[in-house]
Amino acid sequence: MYSLRRWWDRHGLQVGLVAIAIAGAWGVQQTQGALIFEIFSTITRPFQSSPSAQDQIEKARMMAQSERLVELENQNLKLKELLGYVTKTKSQGIIAPLIGRSSDHWWQQVTLGRGSSDGIKKDDIVTGAGGLVGRVQSVSANTSRVLLISDPSARVGVTISRSRNMGFMRGQGANRAVMEFFDKVPDVRPGDMVSTSPVSELFPAGIPVGRVESVNLSKSPAPEAIIELSVPINVLEWVEVKPSKILPDKQLSAPPPVQDTRSTEEPQIYPDGSQSPEAEKPSEPQPNDPIDASTETPPPQEQDQP
Amino acid sequence: MHPQTRRLLNTLVTLASLLLCLLILPSRLPGMTLLGIGPNWLLIWVVSWSVKRSQFLGAAAGIALGLIQDGMTSAVPSHAISLGIVGILTARLQKHRYIQEDFISVALIVFGMSLVAEGITAVQYSFLGQRSLTEIWDDQQLVGLSSAILSSLWAPVVYFPLNVWWGRMKLLESS
Repeated sequence: MYSLRRWWDRHGLQVGLVAIAIAGAWGVQQTQGALIFEIFSTITRPFQSSPSAQDQIEKARMMAQSERLVELENQNLKLKELLGYVTKTKSQGIIAPLIGRSSDHWWQQVTLGRGSSDGIKKDDIVTGAGGLVGRVQSVSANTSRVLLISDPSARVGVTISRSRNMGFMRGQGANRAVMEFFDKVPDVRPGDMVSTSPVSELFPAGIPVGRVESVNLSKSPAPEAIIELSVPINVLEWVEVKPSKILPDKQLSAPPPVQDTRSTEEPQIYPDGSQSPEAEKPSEPQPNDPIDASTETPPPQEQDQP
Repeated sequence: MHPQTRRLLNTLVTLASLLLCLLILPSRLPGMTLLGIGPNWLLIWVVSWSVKRSQFLGAAAGIALGLIQDGMTSAVPSHAISLGIVGILTARLQKHRYIQEDFISVALIVFGMSLVAEGITAVQYSFLGQRSLTEIWDDQQLVGLSSAILSSLWAPVVYFPLNVWWGRMKLLESS
């Protein structure tokens, strides 16, 4: 007992301090390093590329325009190819500056200078000049951490724009990714454009991802293609964050469930008896924009017409 | 100076240096990267800390910093394991007095420890089984070597001021 007490007298302080240090570190880990990123964002604020306000607005506008262009091109393509099936994603994103890179060499992550106070949520979609950037992994008040699609743990459902062959893509670090096809003999050539696929559970369809660099059809178990990502993440300064397409109550958001939820909403939006039978048809709700249907903008228009 | 104030000041300086390392971590300053990979500042700090301390303190610092880095990236695979082991190994090295303690030897220790730390991370990835082994170990070569070279080059920047400070504090403590 005495020796224990003597040991405690000698080492008690040290043990206590170490316990506090570990507990503090554990606290930081549990809060996803929010404190550190907040301090980082505060300190780097003067160094963040903040040109004149005019410049900034110009840049944002240009980005939004090119974003819209890409969006419209994709929609046009799909409209032609998949007659009757349209998903429109309205560009209403939050423009966020890129303030930090990954804190570790194994992860492909970036830190954005906007957070939950600007309306960014976990799982939001991040796009930039050139296409898809990644997905928001964690959010603090003024920063958010994005897992890039070039990270090996990132999986994205993608499709070859020309032949509509589908597969999934996993990152390979830097600006390369590997696409594995679902088909045994996919129709794919180097140079083909790759975009997110309509069956992707995490990303909206039709966001450009990259270009096929080389193809390996003899690869087992599935044919593979190396994809060069179209977003120059190393030089990117601004990105756009859009809300995720995951519905809070629906984990599976493949097209059929989405149609179901809309067809159940449709009779409530259109109280008119003549319109409700049409709305119940599974093919009818498709031309409608899912975002429009949820933001309750159509009902006033519908009421104005009669 | 009063011993209590001195101890408090010592703690504050140590914590400030640690915070500085944490804040540099997500930034990629120009001229400080190799293939997009920067120095592993936390590892440099852990080595600087452990070089003249016991294994217990080395491991504690490594685990604490590892947990913080886990929070800043992802908890799986854990950095606490690799940095903890780095802390223990560095403290052990000092005990045997194989290496004289100066700039170059610290840079060498950091070089070796970077390889060890990235190796441990790669082993953890291998056990997780999310990725193929060839991919992981190709990555390990790239990440391990780049980070080892850069970390060892930048190690004196962290080590020198901290070593001088802690040395002076110890001198005051003993006098």
